[in-house]
Amino acid sequence: MKKTAASNQRNVRIIDGIPMLIAAIILVIVLAVIGFAGSNNLRRILIKVFIYCAMGSMWNLMSGYTGMTSLGQQTFIGVAGYTVALFTAKFALPFAVGILAGGVIGGVLALILAVILFRMRGMYFAIATWVIAEAFKTFFTSWGFVNAGGGMTVAGRPDREVIYLMCLVLAVASIVVIYVLLKSKLGLGLTAMRDDADAASSVGVNIFKSKLLCFVICGVFCALGGGLYYLNNVSIYPGSGFAIDWTVSLVFIVIIGGIGTMSGPIVGTIIYIVLDEVLAQLPAGWSNIILGLIAILVILFLPDGIMGTLQKKLHFELLSQKRFSGE
Amino acid sequence: MSFIQNIINGILLGGIYALLGVGMTMMFGIVKLTNLAHGEFIIMGAFASTLLAQALGIDPIITLIITVPCMFLIGMVLQSVLINRVMLQGSEPALLVTFGLSIILQDAMLLLFTADARRANVSYSTTNIQLPGGLYISVLDLVVFVISLVTILILTIFLRRTYMGRAIRATSDDTVAASLMGVSVRRTYGIAMGIAMATAAVAGLGVGMRWTFYPSSGGTYLLIAFGVVVIGGMGSIPGTLVAGLVFGLAQVFGGANYGLLVSYILLIVMLAVRPQGLFSK
Amino acid sequence: MSESILKVEHVQAKYGDFIAVEDATLDVPAGTIVSVIGANGAGKSTLMDTIAGVHKASGGKIIFKGEDISGMPAEKIVLRGLSLVPQGSRCFIRMTVEDNLIMGSFPKSARPMMKDTLDRVYTLFPVLKQKRNDLSGSLSGGQRQMVAIGRALMTNPDCVLFDEISLGLAPTIIKDIYARIKEISSDGMTVVLVEQDTHRAIRTGEISHVMLKGRVVLSGRSRELGEDEIKKAYFGL
Repeated sequence: MKKTAASNQRNVRIIDGIPMLIAAIILVIVLAVIGFAGSNNLRRILIKVFIYCAMGSMWNLMSGYTGMTSLGQQTFIGVAGYTVALFTAKFALPFAVGILAGGVIGGVLALILAVILFRMRGMYFAIATWVIAEAFKTFFTSWGFVNAGGGMTVAGRPDREVIYLMCLVLAVASIVVIYVLLKSKLGLGLTAMRDDADAASSVGVNIFKSKLLCFVICGVFCALGGGLYYLNNVSIYPGSGFAIDWTVSLVFIVIIGGIGTMSGPIVGTIIYIVLDEVLAQLPAGWSNIILGLIAILVILFLPDGIMGTLQKKLHFELLSQKRFSGE
Repeated sequence: MSFIQNIINGILLGGIYALLGVGMTMMFGIVKLTNLAHGEFIIMGAFASTLLAQALGIDPIITLIITVPCMFLIGMVLQSVLINRVMLQGSEPALLVTFGLSIILQDAMLLLFTADARRANVSYSTTNIQLPGGLYISVLDLVVFVISLVTILILTIFLRRTYMGRAIRATSDDTVAASLMGVSVRRTYGIAMGIAMATAAVAGLGVGMRWTFYPSSGGTYLLIAFGVVVIGGMGSIPGTLVAGLVFGLAQVFGGANYGLLVSYILLIVMLAVRPQGLFSK
Repeated sequence: MSESILKVEHVQAKYGDFIAVEDATLDVPAGTIVSVIGANGAGKSTLMDTIAGVHKASGGKIIFKGEDISGMPAEKIVLRGLSLVPQGSRCFIRMTVEDNLIMGSFPKSARPMMKDTLDRVYTLFPVLKQKRNDLSGSLSGGQRQMVAIGRALMTNPDCVLFDEISLGLAPTIIKDIYARIKEISSDGMTVVLVEQDTHRAIRTGEISHVMLKGRVVLSGRSRELGEDEIKKAYFGL
């Protein structure tokens, strides 16, 4: 995915700055209020939206901006889910400790895995991330300490409202982190790197450090998301925590929304969750078939995704990484 | 189990592992495509052989007469209609499309065939050939091993001796020069995918004969295939054969619980240290 | 002058926005050797690729044996008897010399003559017969060029385009290969030679076309034009 979305548009109107900030703050306040005033069902759906939005944005940061297509983010999700279960059920610690520990472990794990993964590129990287996730799944399935294939149950689950707020914070934090990251010098370097690795290094961007930072941040956020998801879900199994289905969802969200656009994953998440809720009425199996077909059709006919195509056609850019609109 | 018995079992396992990887290595080497749906293709082959054998009351091996040409055609159509088009957009969209295909196929099989465990039944499934020293060879494993070797041999001869086989190799070396020899690259890609699917049909038969399988089993076999491809070197068929044996032995010596894990770790180490494979220059 | 087998009329070819060939008109009479001369970057190779169908023309017409072949893909053009020896030989390096040559007989029309043409190529380049079971990737540059020429002949062409076959080769080898090309031509084959070396091109080609910055700026019988005039056109003086 070389020339993605609006990255090389000239004359684009960038919707950004103070008005955008005010709109975003109002939106977050409204969402927070819904957390207390809304129905249980709405809360349940929005929790999913927040978690997937955070993870999808992170997957987009990796694939869309740094060219690392990971098919193994479920490694971090599963490990964090198990961390929460272990901390609350085995060690009888508060859930917040479990969530934070999951995030820390996710970051450390990303650092360790980077040593291996950063020796690879492209499809090798993609498959290796998947193999690692499968290795974790296999290991957890036979590891007695985590009850092997029998799975674990989280203890001391807080109220749904608390989880809701934590998920909202996670989603907002992920978008803010990505926004700040991409607006920094490092972010500009990343975009340059995606388009031309040699040019980026000649500009003086340390590619290795930038990629590592992105990979670790993604690891941390996917771990936090995974921890919150399983705190909410209560039970975790190796087959669910480390399931490739996580990656399927993230890929779908980013492809549909528009890879390499900051607003794409947000739009993609909403479409994904709505579709998922609607398709859940159908017998099991149909939902993935339809999602898969939609994704393939989008890749074929709308390779820039919804936001990428809209931005190109209408010459605007929502949440741009560009610093100056005259650029 | 004794050491020698482990080696026998590892080699027999290696044969089918090589067959799992051979279609994938062709796609890698020739079409330069990472086909994440290869595992589902194999499971499609397993279902086709198992169900046909049941319905017609024949030995599963005979079903290859039907499954191999059908899968060849499906592969050709798939490549010509869909993947050739996506490949124009680059390798990542193509990777993601095959990923989407694998999800669709997996759930389509779940809807069609339910989540029940299946197995292709053969009369000799529990027969062993006794060897001196308490060693034995499972007839079933031996049959699958021979089928695998014969398939790989036929494929090798086809690639070496026929015009189409040479055209496929030429295309993998240099698409422009191949087109100057009158080769249609897109058509060659279609044929390569057809052949990859045909080997998946045979591999599926082997999988169905040796193990119980589910619609969701594709991922496991994809990763084994990928491991074989990586260790053998992308696009090298003799390499695939050796890699299959390495992988099979690693898994047998790893034992029942950690066999798969040992294979995965071996694969990750290979990817990190020598991604071009053991047998390429 | 005999009837022309290949006519290139005002062909234009681009890479993205970059115009590599702006306006090229050539006429190749059947059975002759025609030289296309020009400095590096004059658009000679792009023009050859465009004629052979490897690259799509963005304008103009290419007529081969009376048929408009512009826009046709390479694999169809070769079936009509027009073959290109591409720049840098582009052998199939992981295939043996003999497999490379047999690949040339891939067009169905060429297959029945495969054995005979193979013998002819081996007579033309005996060294290839010696090395027939070696991987072409292990050969020297000159030998690879011979493989590429042999492979083109195997397609059973009426006209062969040679794109800078002398590039990077030692003078003695160049001399040898050029002698073989004359031999091929004397069998009735039409030859188009792309060259940077004006002297060699004029000596070999009966007709010369000079390209400069994407245009054919001078065309005529080599002897009538004379080396000085061709050199002037070559440098754009």
